[in-house]
Amino acid sequence: MIAVEQLTKIYGRRTALDAVSFEVPRGEIFGFVGPNGAGKTTTLRILAALMEPTAGRAFVDGADVTMQPDRVHERLGYMPDFFGVYDQLTSAEYLDFYAACYRQPKARRKKITDDLLELVGLSDRRDQAVDTLSRGLKQRLCLARALVHDPAVLLLDEPASGLDPRARVEMREILKELQKMGKTIVISSHILPELTELCTMVGIIDQGRMRATGPVQDVIRQLTSGRRLRISVLGQREEAVAVLKPLPMIHSLSAQNGAIEAEYEGDDATAAAILQTLTAAGIRVSGFSQLEGGLEDAFMRATEDTP
Amino acid sequence: MNPIAVALWNPIVAKEYRSRMRTWRSPVAMTVYILLLGGLGWAIFSSMTFAARNSFNGGQAANYGQGLFLYLVLFQMVLLAFITPALTAGAISSERERQTIDLLFVTKLPSFSILWGKLLASMSFVLLLLLLSVPIFSLVFLFGGIELDQLAAAFLVTAVSALTLGIIGIACSTAFRRTLPATVSAYGAAFILLAGSLLFGLLFPTDIDPNATAAPAPPAVTYLSPLIPLITIGTNGPINNYGVRNGNNNVYPSGGGGMACSTTPAGVQSCYPIGPNGASGKVIAGPSSNLVQARGTTIPSGLFSGWQYWQATVTMQLVLSLIALIVGAVLLSPIRHLPWRRRAAAKATT
Repeated sequence: MIAVEQLTKIYGRRTALDAVSFEVPRGEIFGFVGPNGAGKTTTLRILAALMEPTAGRAFVDGADVTMQPDRVHERLGYMPDFFGVYDQLTSAEYLDFYAACYRQPKARRKKITDDLLELVGLSDRRDQAVDTLSRGLKQRLCLARALVHDPAVLLLDEPASGLDPRARVEMREILKELQKMGKTIVISSHILPELTELCTMVGIIDQGRMRATGPVQDVIRQLTSGRRLRISVLGQREEAVAVLKPLPMIHSLSAQNGAIEAEYEGDDATAAAILQTLTAAGIRVSGFSQLEGGLEDAFMRATEDTP
Repeated sequence: MNPIAVALWNPIVAKEYRSRMRTWRSPVAMTVYILLLGGLGWAIFSSMTFAARNSFNGGQAANYGQGLFLYLVLFQMVLLAFITPALTAGAISSERERQTIDLLFVTKLPSFSILWGKLLASMSFVLLLLLLSVPIFSLVFLFGGIELDQLAAAFLVTAVSALTLGIIGIACSTAFRRTLPATVSAYGAAFILLAGSLLFGLLFPTDIDPNATAAPAPPAVTYLSPLIPLITIGTNGPINNYGVRNGNNNVYPSGGGGMACSTTPAGVQSCYPIGPNGASGKVIAGPSSNLVQARGTTIPSGLFSGWQYWQATVTMQLVLSLIALIVGAVLLSPIRHLPWRRRAAAKATT
């Protein structure tokens, strides 16, 4: 559905994107992760045919973003990270205006407006002036605006930024609903735990370079080499470290909140062997659990060793 | 949707009308406009009646009408030169500042439609102001001295000039990312159009061709200013003492100004130019009846020879508007599909 090939964008002497490539198949939710200034917004703006790349190509549902921007606009809904609203328009008029801009017939526009206001939970605010809505409600209205022409692809640039926890949860619920409707969604966000739950694919970008891309669990596995154990012992931490350190399967040891975190290479049987070694050495183990590697961990690792 | 409907379809116009008319600014602007125009009309009429009361020959109603009309059309033009850039200079730049322009770019509206919609919405308000002024102008007909075609020509010149200022304002709004520089440049352009072109006529007047059989006319650039045709329409006569070196084209046959003339006993008049550039000593000879003098509102010579002043102004302004519109449309589009770039892109992909 979305294909990005060697996308490069250079502003003066600064390279914002450096040969970025990734693909998002139909119906997937692609989480686009990266620190501020990594190139997320630039990539999304190029995909929305709002900016020309210096080199490389990008396609949305087969349409070239540079050569066929009109076809691209038919197929995608775009929600920028920062956006304004018009004064003197109500929520319903705001959506009706954009529906008209997408050439929706007048007869259908009222139904589209009503349906979308209901989807984003703004039915009771249809006659409220848009400039008086709170930021969270404006975000929801802007999401509804991106859907007025029922696009197959949604590009959402930081849709949850600046929202309070409740508004974030509500936004996540709406995105889940859109996922059920079969939309292909590219979402850039800093809120990594939410992305892990929501996304089927992820791309990690840093300093204009794509560090990793693919299904979420693959990327996590790829970036967090080895598995981790959290071991709690009763007052014998130094002895436990002395036992663990010489073991060949242990990569590293660290102290975390009074417990020992051990990164090791192997499977569940290896973990059982480590526990057995500790108890055989007379260490009184009070806690022993495996830690799941998350997107946050993968993200930190992908971005920590950059020059 | 048929092609004409697609071309005319523009939701921006309806949205702009709605937004504009819901604020207090529009009714206030309309009221102030009418009060200023009506106030000036009343002041001119009062001063004319006062002058007539104190003169021996008394005032003639037709003169009242003509004088009133002339001042009103000129004042209306100056008012619109202040109002139009304010309406259009922020049209695109304010969308950028408000961060709403991208949301328009990703719709099916072509960039040109965005530009056109903004222009149409602004110019509709200007048209509304012009329509509001019609009752004030109709008072002129109470006195006479002005024909309906003069009124129509004056309104056409004013409307086209406002359109030109509007399009230049939109082009400035597209070229500058911020409203302030866009507004300053739009007002600068309005000043150049109204006064700068007139100044050009003063600084670089037409040299008198001693061999010419037609009266000299000001340089063609000066017709860009709507003030010249409005004066010719209002006075129903040519522009005198302007745009011609050393002279006044109207005094040509009588021998004053930049020409020295003498008449032989046989009735043959000889004229030669005097002054820094006219001292060639060439003599124009011939019966005085053959000398053409500037009459009426027709341009006597030059690029627009034989045209009415207002026709030349309208034509030049429409050409200028078209250029500004094309520049604006090219600058506005986020991805510019210029033919040579399209060819280069096609070559790169093969």
